[in-house]
Amino acid sequence: MEVDSLDQLQRKQSTYLSFDENFEIQKEVYRGQQYSQIYFARLHMMRTLLYSLVPNWKSHLSVCTVLGLEEGKECIIVGTLYKHMKLKPCILDEYSKERSVAPLVKPHNFMHQDDYLVLEDESGRVKLGGTMLSPSVYVTGVVVALHGKETSAGAFFVEDVLEAGLPPQIERPLKSREEKYVVFVSGLSIGKSSSNPLQFQLLVDHITGHLGDEEEQGLAAEIVHLVIAGNSVEVSRGLLNGQNLASKDQSRLSEPFKELDIHLTQIAANLPLDIMPGSSDPANFSLPQQPLNRCLFPGSATYNTFRSCTNPHCFELDNIRFLGTSGQNIDDLTKYSEAKDRLDFLERTLRWRHLAPTAPNTLGCYPFTDRDPFLIDRCPDVYFVGNQEKYETRLVKGLEGQSVRLIFIPRFCETGLAVVVNMRNLECHALTFGTQFGS
Amino acid sequence: MATTSKNMNVFYRQKKTTATTSTAKRSTKNPSHKDAATFGSGTTQPPALVSHGGSLDVKGDFDEEEQVLRQFDMNMAYGPCLGISRLARWERSQRMGLNPPEEVGSLLKGGEVRLECLFEGRV
Repeated sequence: MEVDSLDQLQRKQSTYLSFDENFEIQKEVYRGQQYSQIYFARLHMMRTLLYSLVPNWKSHLSVCTVLGLEEGKECIIVGTLYKHMKLKPCILDEYSKERSVAPLVKPHNFMHQDDYLVLEDESGRVKLGGTMLSPSVYVTGVVVALHGKETSAGAFFVEDVLEAGLPPQIERPLKSREEKYVVFVSGLSIGKSSSNPLQFQLLVDHITGHLGDEEEQGLAAEIVHLVIAGNSVEVSRGLLNGQNLASKDQSRLSEPFKELDIHLTQIAANLPLDIMPGSSDPANFSLPQQPLNRCLFPGSATYNTFRSCTNPHCFELDNIRFLGTSGQNIDDLTKYSEAKDRLDFLERTLRWRHLAPTAPNTLGCYPFTDRDPFLIDRCPDVYFVGNQEKYETRLVKGLEGQSVRLIFIPRFCETGLAVVVNMRNLECHALTFGTQFGS
Repeated sequence: MATTSKNMNVFYRQKKTTATTSTAKRSTKNPSHKDAATFGSGTTQPPALVSHGGSLDVKGDFDEEEQVLRQFDMNMAYGPCLGISRLARWERSQRMGLNPPEEVGSLLKGGEVRLECLFEGRV
């Protein structure tokens, strides 16, 4: 009796290109440098760019340095913003004599109405006044051009701001594409007491085509790639307090990884998979986080479909550019600025052309000397952030015809939700897995 | 400090112990303190500034090549100089299109000069 059907479903495939070399630090040598080098690289790159945009913005005004400001003369200055925040935790507070009883609960957002912005370049810094530039929107580390004049008080009164805007985008070829899907998931948090292993198993089964009838399997066969955007494991804090572990605790430490590896082996046997490190994963703390070590995945790392990637991660599938992080950059922005809609933070980083402007000020970062790897020089088609509270998405259009799909990927252990992006038209929808049986 | 042992002999000639011990004592009160700001003092100029046959030696013990490199270090247009070797900083400025002076590049690749910036090890 013929068991195999003649029309076996084939999974679709797409070409993959990785652009993570920019984020790798194996070749870097630490010589005791401080962060002035990365700030210089950032200022130089962005300033060159802004100088080229200034003539189109206000051609009648001249550009000058901060030290070259003359009182009352209208001009344009370009520099890095610094936001002075009263509530920002400062290491020097420990040594301050007037230390009040420090609050045990740190505020989630360090903004205060007395915060003010300062513009800085190599020659000097100047306090910014006026209502055009709102301190609640900007953060330290953004490079902008400002039009205004110096006041008698020595501050710079801002009349207009120029941000770099969306970077140029290479147009996607318009040939008729097949329906192909990319699945994004993040925050699996295997090892956390509240994570439900059945939910992830359902996701794996669905993607690998082990669930559902032929129609479902047909949909699953159109999934060409899976990206796990950080926080795949969570080791219980009690095991990490620096004390020697008893042997039973040692096996508790490695259990989440074994469980993750079993799932990833099932996935890697079926389709290409990228795994990014997150804040709770065993990778380095400062950005860019380096790929998770392959020895953590003895089963899945043997497959060539398994790729351990950096955070941030940039890749191309069939010439569609994807760029994203595991969430640390956006979470840091929420602590030091505010927005009506959380997706605004993501859009701002794109308009500022920098993935993580608060690095290295409040976000850990490697002290690069010759470049700033977080500058976005080409506009992605899909810009994603993992480990967010809920699934949100928006399509952003640029002035030169760029179009970017912004995606917030929610934490899977809390929501059971994965995001699916259609590569043909960049629309996305949610894939929810529930394990509660209705009453 | 600038004075070498050679120069000290010019000012600390061996004196025979004669009856004029008081003058000998006075001369020992002119040691070359490293930070002596004795421009206004009535005593002789500190040896540091007066040497090489009488011309003022304000450069100290480094030569013209080092001067050129120090000017390169101090130039703000090429970024901060601390934490990066001079050659790496020169190459970085080249890559960024800042057109650093060729002379500096050839001096650094020639290799007989100090490869670290002037503050290295002192800050």
